[in-house]
Amino acid sequence: MNGWHGKLLRVDLTNQTTSVEDIDPKVCRDFIGGRGVAMYYISKEVDPLVDPLAPENKLVFATGPLTATPAPTGNRYMVVTKSPLTGALAHSNSGGEFPTWMKRTGFDLFIFEGRAKEPVYLFVNEDQVEVRSAAHVWGKDTHETTDMLKAETSDEARVACIGPAGENLALMASIMNDKHRAAARSGVGAVMGSKNLKAVVAMGNKNPDLHDPTAMRDLSVDTSKNVGADVKKGSNMRIYGTSYVPQVTNTLGIFPTYNFQQGTFEHTKNIDGDALKNQYLIRHTPCYRCPLSCGRLTEVPDGKYKGKGEGPEYETISSLGSGCGVSDLAALVKANYLCNEYGMDTIGTGMTIAAAMEMYEKGYIPEGVIGQPLKFGDHDAMIAMIKKMATREGFGDDLAQGSYRLCEKYGHPEIAVTTRKQEFPGYDPRGSQGMGLLYATSNKGASHMEGDVAYEEVFGVPVKENPLSTDGKAELVKHFEDSFALIDSSGLCVFVAIRYVFSKDRLIFPLRLSEMMNFTTGAGYTPEEIMKAAERVYNLERMFVLKAGSTEDALPHRMLHEPLPDGPARGKVVELDKMLPEFYQLRGWDEKGWPTKEKLEELGLTPNS
Amino acid sequence: MKINVKLIATYQNLLPVGTSGNTIEIEVPSGSTISQILSCFGVPQDDTSVIVLNGLTVDLNTPVSEGDTIAAFSAIAGG
Ligand code: SF4
Repeated sequence: MNGWHGKLLRVDLTNQTTSVEDIDPKVCRDFIGGRGVAMYYISKEVDPLVDPLAPENKLVFATGPLTATPAPTGNRYMVVTKSPLTGALAHSNSGGEFPTWMKRTGFDLFIFEGRAKEPVYLFVNEDQVEVRSAAHVWGKDTHETTDMLKAETSDEARVACIGPAGENLALMASIMNDKHRAAARSGVGAVMGSKNLKAVVAMGNKNPDLHDPTAMRDLSVDTSKNVGADVKKGSNMRIYGTSYVPQVTNTLGIFPTYNFQQGTFEHTKNIDGDALKNQYLIRHTPCYRCPLSCGRLTEVPDGKYKGKGEGPEYETISSLGSGCGVSDLAALVKANYLCNEYGMDTIGTGMTIAAAMEMYEKGYIPEGVIGQPLKFGDHDAMIAMIKKMATREGFGDDLAQGSYRLCEKYGHPEIAVTTRKQEFPGYDPRGSQGMGLLYATSNKGASHMEGDVAYEEVFGVPVKENPLSTDGKAELVKHFEDSFALIDSSGLCVFVAIRYVFSKDRLIFPLRLSEMMNFTTGAGYTPEEIMKAAERVYNLERMFVLKAGSTEDALPHRMLHEPLPDGPARGKVVELDKMLPEFYQLRGWDEKGWPTKEKLEELGLTPNS
Repeated sequence: MKINVKLIATYQNLLPVGTSGNTIEIEVPSGSTISQILSCFGVPQDDTSVIVLNGLTVDLNTPVSEGDTIAAFSAIAGG
C-alpha cells in the first residue's frame, strides 16, 4: 500500500504481549485514516457502554495517510478512545514531531488494550517492539519523563507521555508529546493512566511509500510556497500564533470572561499577543515540516513565575486568563507551563477553575471546602488549584472531575458551561451562533476543533459570515464537521489545511486535499467521494456517542437563558431551536438526532456498525 | 465628530507612527463611511480583511456616528 503502511500494532497491556495486524485496504479507503480508521476499530471492538477507565476500553494512537509525507503539516496524529469526561467519544489531535516518528516505525496505528499491573512504557523502533517498566518515571512530569526516556533509549526517539494528572486519572488529563504539544481534550490522558501506560517512545526510518512521489513533491512545494507568500505579506499566525485572537474575540464580544458571565474582558491588552510578544517571546517553533510555524518558545526569565516552555495559545489565554478573570500575564504563562508539565488540558483546567471561582463568589462552595479564597482574578489561587487538580489533593479531587460534575455536586449545575460534560472553548456562542450549534452537536462535546465555523463567523476565512445570524448555519456546521473529520483523518494540521488545501468557497471543498490524498495513496478519490468518507466517519462516531447514552444535543443553561450582558452581542442567547431541526434534516437524522436507516445505508454503515 | 479606529495585530502597522496601542481616536466629517475612513489608513477592503463597526458585521458604505469604533484585522492565515 502507499501512504498507509497497512499495518497496526496491537499492545495487550494486561499480558504484556504485542502483535502486528494488517489493515484492510478497503477500511483505509472508506475511513481515510487517522481519526476515521481509529474510529472503525473503536466501534468494532469497544462496547459503547464500557467504563472508560476500565481495562475493556481501548486507546488508539492513529496517524493519517499524509503523516510523514512531504505534505506541509503532515505531522499529526489522533488519540481516539471512549472519554471518561464526556462518557462518549474522545478524539484529540496533536502535531510536533512524535506523530511523524510514530508513522516511521512502520505502523499506522497503535491499539492499546487491557491494563498493565505495573507502570510501563512502549518502545517501538520499527520491528523492535518492547513493553518496558516505567516504574522509574511514574510520578515524574512530562518534561522529566521525556528527557529520561530519551536518555535511556535514543536521542533520535520521540516521546508521548502523561504527567501526574493522567496517572491520577484527572478527567482533564492530556497526553503530551515532544514536551509541549498536547492531545489535550476529553481526558485521553486519564485513559492512558488507567492502563498504567506512562509513555510511548517511537523511532524508525520507514517513511510511507508514495503513489506518485514527483506529483506529491510538486504539489507540496507549491502549497508551501502559497503559505510562504502569505507569511511574507504579514501573517498574524506567524507573528503571534493564536495569541492575537483575544483582541479579535474581545472586539466581537465573544471573549469568554468570568466563566462566560461576560463577553468582553477589561484587561485584554494585558494578556494579548502584543503583550506576550513584547515580554516573553524567544522565537518561533514549528511542528515538523510546517511552513507556517505558529508555535512560540517563551520564557518568564525571573520572579516567582519563572519558567520556560511553549505558548500560551489563544485557548489557554481565554480559559486560564479571561475565563478566570486573570490579567497577570506572567502568572498566566506559568499556569500554561504547569498544565503542560502535569499533562492537563488548559481549556478543561481553566474553565473548571473558572466555574469554581463563580461558585465560590456566589457562596455555593464555602471557603472551608476549598481551603482558601478563590476569587476571579486571583492568579495565585488559580495556580494553587492547578497543582491540586493534578495531584487530586483536597478540593483538587472535586476539581479533577471537571466543571460539570463539580457544579452538580455543589447543587448548581446551571453554572457549568459544558456540552456532553466537556468545557466550552474560547468563543462565546451567544455572539457566534454557528458555534452554538457546533458545541451542541459535536461528537466529542463542546470543542471548536470539531468543525470550527469560527473560521467564517469570526476570522472571515475563507468567507465572512455574520456571527449573530442563524441563517444557513445548519448547512455550514454540517459541512465543517465533515471537513474537520476529513482533516483529522488525513494527518494534516487544520490551521494550514483550511486555508491552503480547500477551495475558498463558503462551503470549503477539498480540491487540493483530495489531490494530495491521491498522489499519496493512489486511492483515486474524487473530492465528493472523500467528503462522503468523512461523513461516514462522522456518522459512525455519532452512532457510538448515541449508543453510549449521550443522546442530547443540548446547550447549558447560561447559553439559552442568560443573555450576554455586554459587548456587541449584548442581549443575545443561542437560538438553538432555530438551527437544530434543519441540521438534523440536512444530516439525514431523525427528529431525535439518530441517523436514519437510509442515511446509514447510503454511507455503507448499519445500525450495528 | 470623533470616532475610534482599532487596527488589530498586523494591521497595527497601518496606524500613524507613535500611536500607543491598537486604537486611535480621530475627527471625521459627519456622513463619512467606514470605507472612506479605512481608505485613509490603507486597510485592504477585500476578503483579506475582516472589518466590523462596534463589533458588528455591516456594509462598508455605512456612515459612522459619533463615538463609533471601526475595527479591522487581516484574514490572512487567521484562526
Ligand atoms: S500551523 Fe502551527 S500547529 Fe499547525 S503544524 Fe504548523 S506550527 Fe504546528
